[in-house]
Amino acid sequence: MVTREDIENIALLSKLFVDEKDLDSLTEEMQKIVSFADTINNAEVRTGEFDNINNLSNVFRADEVLPSLPSAEILKNAPEQAEDHFLVRKRA
Amino acid sequence: MKYELVAGFETHVELSTETKIFCSCTTAFGGDPNTHCCPVCIGLPGTLPKLNEKVVEYAIMAGLATNCEIAGIAKMDRKNYCYPDLPKAYQISQYDKPLCQHGYIRLSNGRKIRILRIHIEEDAGKLIHNHGDTYVDYNRGGVPLIEIVTEPDFRSIDEAKEYVERLQQTMRWIGISDCRMQEGSMRCDVNISVRPEGSEKLGTRTEIKNMNSITNIAKAMEYEYERQCELIESGGAVVQETLRYDDATGTTSSMRSKEDAHDYRYFREPDLVTIAVPRERVNEIEARLPELPGQKFTRYTQTFEIPEKDAAQLTKYRSIAEYFDQAIEGLKSPKTASNFIIGQIFRRLETEADKEAFDVRTTAKQLNEMCRLLEAGKLKNNLAKKTLEQMLDTGKPVTEFISESDMAGLDENTLTEYCQNAINAMPAAVADYKGGKEKALMAILGNVMKQSRGRADAAAVTAKLKELIG
Amino acid sequence: MGQIKRIHEMLQSGAITCTELTQKYLTEIENSNKELNAYITVTPDVALAQAKAVDEKLARGEEIGLLEGIPMTLKDNISTKGILTSCASKILTGYKPIYDATVYELLQKEGVVMLGKTNMDEFAMGSSCETSYYGGAKNPHNTDHVSGGSSGGVASAVGGNLAVYGLGSDTGGSIRQPASFCGIVGLKPTYGAVSRYGLIAYASSFDQIGPITHDVEDAAIVFDAIAKYDDRDSTSRGSEPTLPTLHDEIKGMKIGIANQYLNGVREDVKAAVLEAAKSYEEMGAEIVYFDLPELEFALPCYYILAMAEASSNLGRYDGIRYGYKAEHYIGTHDMICRTRSEGFGKEVRRRILMGTYVLSAGYYDAYYKKAVNLRGAIVEAFDRAFEKVDVILAPTAPVTAFKNGYLFGEETDQLEQYLSDICTVPVNTAGLPAVSIPCGEDSEGLPIGMQIIGKKFDEKTILNLAYKYEEKEDKFKETKWGVKL
Repeated sequence: MVTREDIENIALLSKLFVDEKDLDSLTEEMQKIVSFADTINNAEVRTGEFDNINNLSNVFRADEVLPSLPSAEILKNAPEQAEDHFLVRKRA
Repeated sequence: MKYELVAGFETHVELSTETKIFCSCTTAFGGDPNTHCCPVCIGLPGTLPKLNEKVVEYAIMAGLATNCEIAGIAKMDRKNYCYPDLPKAYQISQYDKPLCQHGYIRLSNGRKIRILRIHIEEDAGKLIHNHGDTYVDYNRGGVPLIEIVTEPDFRSIDEAKEYVERLQQTMRWIGISDCRMQEGSMRCDVNISVRPEGSEKLGTRTEIKNMNSITNIAKAMEYEYERQCELIESGGAVVQETLRYDDATGTTSSMRSKEDAHDYRYFREPDLVTIAVPRERVNEIEARLPELPGQKFTRYTQTFEIPEKDAAQLTKYRSIAEYFDQAIEGLKSPKTASNFIIGQIFRRLETEADKEAFDVRTTAKQLNEMCRLLEAGKLKNNLAKKTLEQMLDTGKPVTEFISESDMAGLDENTLTEYCQNAINAMPAAVADYKGGKEKALMAILGNVMKQSRGRADAAAVTAKLKELIG
Repeated sequence: MGQIKRIHEMLQSGAITCTELTQKYLTEIENSNKELNAYITVTPDVALAQAKAVDEKLARGEEIGLLEGIPMTLKDNISTKGILTSCASKILTGYKPIYDATVYELLQKEGVVMLGKTNMDEFAMGSSCETSYYGGAKNPHNTDHVSGGSSGGVASAVGGNLAVYGLGSDTGGSIRQPASFCGIVGLKPTYGAVSRYGLIAYASSFDQIGPITHDVEDAAIVFDAIAKYDDRDSTSRGSEPTLPTLHDEIKGMKIGIANQYLNGVREDVKAAVLEAAKSYEEMGAEIVYFDLPELEFALPCYYILAMAEASSNLGRYDGIRYGYKAEHYIGTHDMICRTRSEGFGKEVRRRILMGTYVLSAGYYDAYYKKAVNLRGAIVEAFDRAFEKVDVILAPTAPVTAFKNGYLFGEETDQLEQYLSDICTVPVNTAGLPAVSIPCGEDSEGLPIGMQIIGKKFDEKTILNLAYKYEEKEDKFKETKWGVKL
C-alpha cells in the first residue's frame, strides 16, 4: 500500500512540493501505478542477468586536457549570475 | 567508568590526473570561477560522461599500495541527492562493485587498520555563501576522487593521526595525489563511538564531516569522545547524526536539517559501461609501483641495520629514500650515507616542504663517490664532514676538494721528512721504543699524522718509522 | 524513388534552388503550424543560411550529397547550439544549448537545412504529444486526432509535409508509434547505433535517436548518415550501412509473429498486420508463429526502469544553471522545489515520483532490482527467438491515433496511456532495432502501422524487408498539408 507518508517522503527526495489538498488523489494515483508495477512480481519466467545492453566494457578516455569554455559561455543560460558565479539569492 | 574510543575513517583523496574524471577539463587547483568547465562537468542536459582511464589506474595503484584486492569487474553507480554544488543532482560513484576491497594499513604499534574499500567518484563544485546568497563555482566539479573507507578499527587518536599521515605519505609516494589537506585535496570524515572498556558491542556512532587538517581531526575526535562519554555518564544516549567540527569554537554541531532526507537511491549509471580489470593489468600496474615506504623501512632496518628512528626519517618522503638508495650503491656500510643525510644534509632543510622537495646541491651520485673514497681509506674520516659541507655549498664533486696527492697519500720524500722530524722532536719516545715499548711508536706516529694533517697512511708511516729508527 | 532522392535530383539538376525549396517549407510552416502545432521553434535564419551555402555549391557546379539541402526538423530534445531546446517543458524556458548534439553535427557536415525544432510530449513522457507545455501536435490525417507521442511534432511535420524528414527519439516507442499514427516511416535503431550525445535524457538505457521519414529509402539514407560511432558516448557503437542491401530479395527469410504481440490489439489493426504477413509470404518469406511469454512483463518492467532513470536524469533541473527559475522563494531548498513543481507538468512529476519510489530504500529490491533481472530475461527471450527467425513482425500500436484529449479524459483509466505502449516497449527493453511502416488504415481513414523488429545492429535486414513491402503494397497516403513537389 502506498501511504500519504510515502508520497511525502518521495516528494521531498524528488524536490517537489505536493499540495496538502492533492495528497490523497496523488496517493491514489501512485497506488494504481504501483499496483501495475507490482505485476512484475507475478512473473514466472526465470530472471536473467543484466549488465548493460550491449555488454560493453572498458570504454575510456585518455587523460589529455582540452580547453575549457570561457566562463561567459558556461554562465550563458544562468537565470541569475554575479561575479562569474551562478547565483542563488537568499530570497526572491 | 572508563570508555574506549572506536573510530573509522572515510577519506576523500583528489587524484592528480591532468583532466577531470568524465571530461577533458583541467584539474588544476584554483583558477577564475567557472573557467575549468565544459557542458559535461556542469551537467548540461544531453551531455554524457566518459571515464578517464588514468583514474582507474590510480585507484588500482592506491589499492595495491594499501594491500587491497583489486576487483576483476567494477561498475559505476549514481548516488542521487540534490544540492547546488552537484550539477547533475547525482554523483557518479561506485556502490556495490568498487575497484578495491579488503586491504589494510599497518601502524607502528603493530595494529592493522583494515580498509573496507576504495572507490572512484567525482568531486562536487564549490559554494560560497555571502549574506545568505549562494555563489556557485563548478571548477572543482568532476575532479576525480578516491574514497578510502576503513573498518572501525581505531582505538586512539594517536592511531588516527598516524593513519592519516601514513595515508598521505603513501598516496604521495606512489604519485597519485598531493594530499594537501589545506587545499582540500585530502578530506576526512570520521565516525566515532565509545563503549565501556572491555565491551565488544559497538556504541551508537556519530560522523564528523570534512575535516581538513590532522590537528583538527585530533581536536574534533577528542571533543567528540569527551562529549559522548559525558553524555552516557549523565544517563543520556548518543544520537546517530552527522556533525561538523567548528575550528573556532573547538566544538561539533549537528549538520542535519529537515530539508535533506537521506536516501541516495543508488543505481547503475546507464551512461557508462562495465570496468573489467584483467589480472595481467593489475600485474602490470603492480610491476610499475615503486618500492613502498613500509618495504623500504624494513629493508633499511633489517638489512642495513639502520636505527628505526633514522629509517623512519629516510622513508618519510620518496625523494629522500630514492636519494639514499642511489647514494649507497656499492657501499659496504650504507649507514655512513644515512648518517651524512640525517646528520648533515637535513640540517640544511628546515621545513617539511624542503625535506619533501629534497633540493640538495650535492647529487646522490656525488655523495656515493665521497662515501666510496671514505670506505677505501682514501678520504680520512675527520676530513669527510668538512668536505661534504664544501660539496653541499658548491655542488661540486668530492675530487674538487681533495688533491691527487691527498688521495694517493704522501709521496716518499715528504713521508721520510715528516718521520725524521718526529724522531728528532721525540727522543724520549724513540728511546722507549728501542727499549721494547711498542706503544711508544704510536705517539711518534701521531706526530707524523699531525704534520700531514691526517693525509698520511698509518701503515706506511709505521713502516717508515721502524725503518728510520732501525 | 524515395522522396529524398527525388528532391536531391531536383536540386542537383537546378529544377529548384535550395533557397526556393526552403522558402516553400517555411511558408507552409507559417500557414499550417497554427493548426498542426508541429513546430515549437521555427528557425528561418538558420535554414536560409544553410540553404544559401548549398546554392553556392551548386552554382559552382559541384555535386551535392544526398542529404545536402534537404529541409528537415529535429525533435525539441536534441540539443542545438544557440537554438531553444525545450523538451516541450516550461522548465527549459529560454534554454539555448552551448553545444550541438552529435547527430546535428553529423547532419551539418552533410549540408543539412534545419527548419526548426518540433513538438513532443514533455521530456518525451507520453504517447500522444499532449503532455507538451506548448499543446499537442495534431495528426495531419485528421486534426481531431493526436499525432502520437512522444515524437508527435516530427511525425506531424513529416506527415504534413512541413519537413522532408526529421529526427525523433524512441525510449518506449516514441518514434514508431507517432510514425504509425501519422502513416509514415519511423526507425528506432539498435541501442548504441546512434550517438545519444546531446539528446536530453529521459531514460538513458532505453533512449535512441532515429529518423522519421516518408518512405523506407529515406529512413535508410538518414540512418546511414547518423549511425556513426561517437567517442563522446560510451555506449555508442555505430552500425552497418543499410542502403546497399535495401533492394535485396527477401525470399526464404523467416518472419516470426509472437502470439503475445497480438493480445489486446484491436481487430482491424491485427487484421492489417496479418494481411501484411500474407504479402510477405507471397514474396517468398516464411511466416513462423511462436510464443514469447516474457512480453507480458515487458511493460511494467520498462516503466519501472524508465521512471527510475528519469527520476535521476531530471534531478538537474533546479533553476540554477539554465532554464526556468521560480520567481518567489525563500532559501535554496524552497527555490529548487518551487522551480521544479512549477516547471514540470503533471505527467513528468508523476513519473519522477514513481521513479523515486521504486529506487527508494525498502522498495528497491521489489521493483528496481526485480525489473533489471526481468530485463535480462527479456533480452534472453529475444535472443532465443532470433535463433529461429530473422525478424519479428508486430503491430506498432494496439490502436490507431487517439482522439484529442482521450488519454486524459475523465472516463479514461489513468493507466491506459502506459498500456498503449505495449507493442513498442519490448524492443527498447531489449535494445533492438525496429522500423514502423504503414500497413493500412482504419474505418475513419487513420493509418495503421506495423513494425519489423530485428537483431541487434541488423538494421539492414529490417529496412530491406520494409522496403520490399512498401515497394509491393505502398500503403502511404498523402495528406492535404504542406509542400507539394
